[in-house]
Amino acid sequence: MQTPPRSCLVVDDSRVVRKVARRILEGQGFAVREAEDGQVALDACRDRMPDSVLLDWNMPVMNGIEFLKALRSEFGPNQPPVMFCTTENDISFIEQAIEHGAQEFIMKPFDEDILVSKFTQVGLL
Amino acid sequence: MDDLLQDFLTETTESLAEADLALVKLEQEPGDTATLSLIFRLVHTIKGTCGFLGLPRLEKVAHSAENVLGRVRDGALTATPDLITGVLLALDRIKAIVAELAASGHEPAGDDTALIANLDAISEGKQPAEAKPAPPAPAPSPSPPPPPKPVLVSSAPPEPVVLVEAPVVAPAEAAPAEAGGSDASPASQTIRVGVDVLENLMTLVSELVLTRNQLLQLARHQDNSAFTGPLQRLSHITSDLQEGVMKTRMQPIGIAWNKLPRIVRDLSRELGKKIDLVMIGAETELDRQVLELIKDPLTHMIRNSGDHGLETPAERRAAGKSETGRITLNAFHEGGHIVIEINDDGRGLPVDRIKAKVLSKGLATEAELAAMSDEAIQRFIFRAGFSTAAAITAVSGRGVGMDVVKTNIERIGGTIDLKSKPGEGTIFTIKIPLTLAIVSALIVQAAEERFAIPQISVVELVRAREGGTPPPNDATNPDSTGSRVERINGVPVLRLRERLLPLVGLDELLQLSPIAAPPKPHANVENSLTIIVVQVGPNQMGLIVDRVFDTEEIVVKPVAPVLRHISMFSGNTILGDGSVIMILDPSGIARASGVAGSGESRTSNAQPALAVVGTSSETDRTAMLLFRTGTDDINAVPLGLVARLENFERSRIEVAAGNPVTQYRGRLMRLVPMSGLLDLSKELQSVLVFTDTQQGQSGDRRMGLVVDEIVDVVEDYLNIELSGAREGILGTAIIAGRATDVIDTSYWLTQADPNWFDMKAEGTGQHRPRVLVVEDSDFFRQMIVPVLQSNGYDVTAVPDAARALALRDVGAPFEAIVSDIEMPDMDGFDFVKAVRAAGSWQHLPVIALSGRVSAQDVNRGRDAGFTDYVGKFAKDGLLTSLRQCLALGKAEAHRLVA
Repeated sequence: MQTPPRSCLVVDDSRVVRKVARRILEGQGFAVREAEDGQVALDACRDRMPDSVLLDWNMPVMNGIEFLKALRSEFGPNQPPVMFCTTENDISFIEQAIEHGAQEFIMKPFDEDILVSKFTQVGLL
Repeated sequence: MDDLLQDFLTETTESLAEADLALVKLEQEPGDTATLSLIFRLVHTIKGTCGFLGLPRLEKVAHSAENVLGRVRDGALTATPDLITGVLLALDRIKAIVAELAASGHEPAGDDTALIANLDAISEGKQPAEAKPAPPAPAPSPSPPPPPKPVLVSSAPPEPVVLVEAPVVAPAEAAPAEAGGSDASPASQTIRVGVDVLENLMTLVSELVLTRNQLLQLARHQDNSAFTGPLQRLSHITSDLQEGVMKTRMQPIGIAWNKLPRIVRDLSRELGKKIDLVMIGAETELDRQVLELIKDPLTHMIRNSGDHGLETPAERRAAGKSETGRITLNAFHEGGHIVIEINDDGRGLPVDRIKAKVLSKGLATEAELAAMSDEAIQRFIFRAGFSTAAAITAVSGRGVGMDVVKTNIERIGGTIDLKSKPGEGTIFTIKIPLTLAIVSALIVQAAEERFAIPQISVVELVRAREGGTPPPNDATNPDSTGSRVERINGVPVLRLRERLLPLVGLDELLQLSPIAAPPKPHANVENSLTIIVVQVGPNQMGLIVDRVFDTEEIVVKPVAPVLRHISMFSGNTILGDGSVIMILDPSGIARASGVAGSGESRTSNAQPALAVVGTSSETDRTAMLLFRTGTDDINAVPLGLVARLENFERSRIEVAAGNPVTQYRGRLMRLVPMSGLLDLSKELQSVLVFTDTQQGQSGDRRMGLVVDEIVDVVEDYLNIELSGAREGILGTAIIAGRATDVIDTSYWLTQADPNWFDMKAEGTGQHRPRVLVVEDSDFFRQMIVPVLQSNGYDVTAVPDAARALALRDVGAPFEAIVSDIEMPDMDGFDFVKAVRAAGSWQHLPVIALSGRVSAQDVNRGRDAGFTDYVGKFAKDGLLTSLRQCLALGKAEAHRLVA
């Protein structure tokens, strides 16, 4: 029997970034869903929990940190693994993200190698 | 062109237009952190995405602009006009580069060092270099260079960014493409399509869906047909096509609002007024045809609000308001409609001047006006030829009045109403149907018919058993989880988590007779009913249905003219299986069934106007019994204080010694009519029974407070504002969204028996234990003290821990202390620690009284030194605890003596 593909929820307000992430992740056999802000992402998680989350921090409606807090408080501290995306301008957010339960952080812009190595580190690949 | 790049161009163009607008706003309100973080996010996103696509020039410019904004966000810089000019210049450069990128597919070469140096200087807090429009990028370009951005300075009013709204339909995205400036915008990938073309497409798609469904039906009877595979593909494609076509029709209302900031700025200059425009819900989507039709009315109304509604800065200062007036636009979906509110905080509609105008225009007579409410008089502004402005200004006096606005809105099936308070402002509420919108709807069945209920109004689905009247003790001991159908004065209600919701059977309401007779279809399993809790405005009600199917995305089609007078339907739709069903309008149903929420159903006296319940879900709330007496005002009493709710027949009420009494549980009970007089014309008297029970004592007393009707039980925060205005009323609180008088139970108890609180002690001649109550809330003090007194305690109450400790220090003797947990300055935990630390009260029992009683709280309380921990309003719990503590205390004392 074939195992169902692992799923990843890509949360970013930029359609472009979502598409880049989708291409890379689908290339790795992931089933990808997208959300353009934290609230949409949270609703998506409530609907069906993904195996992993790739999370931007600066988004309208509900930012990445708020989403992370809500996710962890609602569904427990460890699952699913969250990869937190940031740029060199906001390194301070990494600390916050780790504190609120992110497993890994990824610097933007990311490419296939970076994404694959980070996903491998948290045991998803 | 790479579709990723295409996405980038569309996204960035949208972001740039939005950022432009937001920067102008930020200049006006440099402290507006929300706008600042919006701009920051937009620029941040542009920069972030450039990195993915390998666009170094764009990335560098965006990066420098982001740095400046980041410094503002961190508070290191303020958003001065110079700074904003710098950022706008950067955005202009980005726009120019993006335009060339769109034309050639490559990032043009160019030198941005001067611009970046300027931004970096700004971000380091240095005086920026002379801000001048950047020269067009040197690379040759087929598209014309953008015009220089107007430099924004504070002395001259800024020329706002003109949004050229591109009336286009993006193929993949319903979001509008907004082109900034006159650039040859990459968003011109979108094209203009006539609405009639879309309309026609929609019709064709609906037909296609029907045909597809018929095909599927046919194929179902044939196994292994060669058609199965292609048919399935056809089916999927049809669904996608339907969805796609429907999406093309929807656009966010923000498109109709785009021009308003500019209009408001012009208006404020013209009129010499300061005006803020706040827009909420710009993303709310509606049919683009409807959108077009409301643009003009909206513009006109905004003008009106600015012109007539808002005062001049001098007038506002004199009235004690801030100089800047505010117009708020708010759009949201409500039950298949879009609601747009236009709210100004101006002077309100002057009733006197409207009256004078009405008279002078001969629209009504003085006698007619005298009989009208202020609201009715204010609505005259919707009448043809009406204008309140003393002088016709250039702004709103253009021969178009509110009557035209009203006509235009009604033409598309909408309504308009207003609410105005003198000195506080006016709210216009426009409600427009979302004809032909896509709505997610719940499909239900009543009798043999299926109906769609817009998902937006569905709060939850409940299966409840039919339970008749609750057992007598239920009022004090409510079952907090079970939901049950009960009857109050013959009207079915659903008791759901301590709230009462009015219930309506859909089949009865629509007068559908079930074809299959008994058993009654919706009483299927063990007499259980399927109930859909729907939201109607601020209120909720329950609809009884026979079956619930599924949610489906449906296309709302307007109701046929022959059915249009039936307000219970908001449209009809074609389901996936091709059948045509009606869409229910919950607010129409509420009106039709007479259970409309508070405020609308006052006239009905045959049925109780069930003030249906607002939603809220938090801890720390108090269950309150709402009832009505004498007037329309709602009164409340904490449910925990009421022993039972009873209805007594008139024949059971007797008069003894001039007072009404009734036989109740084998003894006479004094009845106190709250309105002062017992209305003997009423067949049934609603009575709140208060008892004063102490287990094992024969002398328990009871009293019945007669009220007009019991309205509801709600849970809400109890923030009481004390006002000793009337006897018997403790004060007013906002309960379930409306001002409610909370009655003073102790007052009414003494009405029944002046010695209510003394009798026990005198009668028994026993020792009265001295109890200290520490409680910061006046309300709770007033509630607890009588309860304790009536149970034979000698009570002293203080409002804070400091005063309690002062009593200790002067040696006041008590036998027990009851203390609130949540108090300012020193909370209950610290208080009990102080008590335990030293002084004469070290070994006294101290009982904590708290709104929150979780195992964790109790443990924390015990650790801090509380003897026991009971919930507020758990009256019996407190009494039991006190008795036990005092008994223990005695035992302890005996042990110590021994």
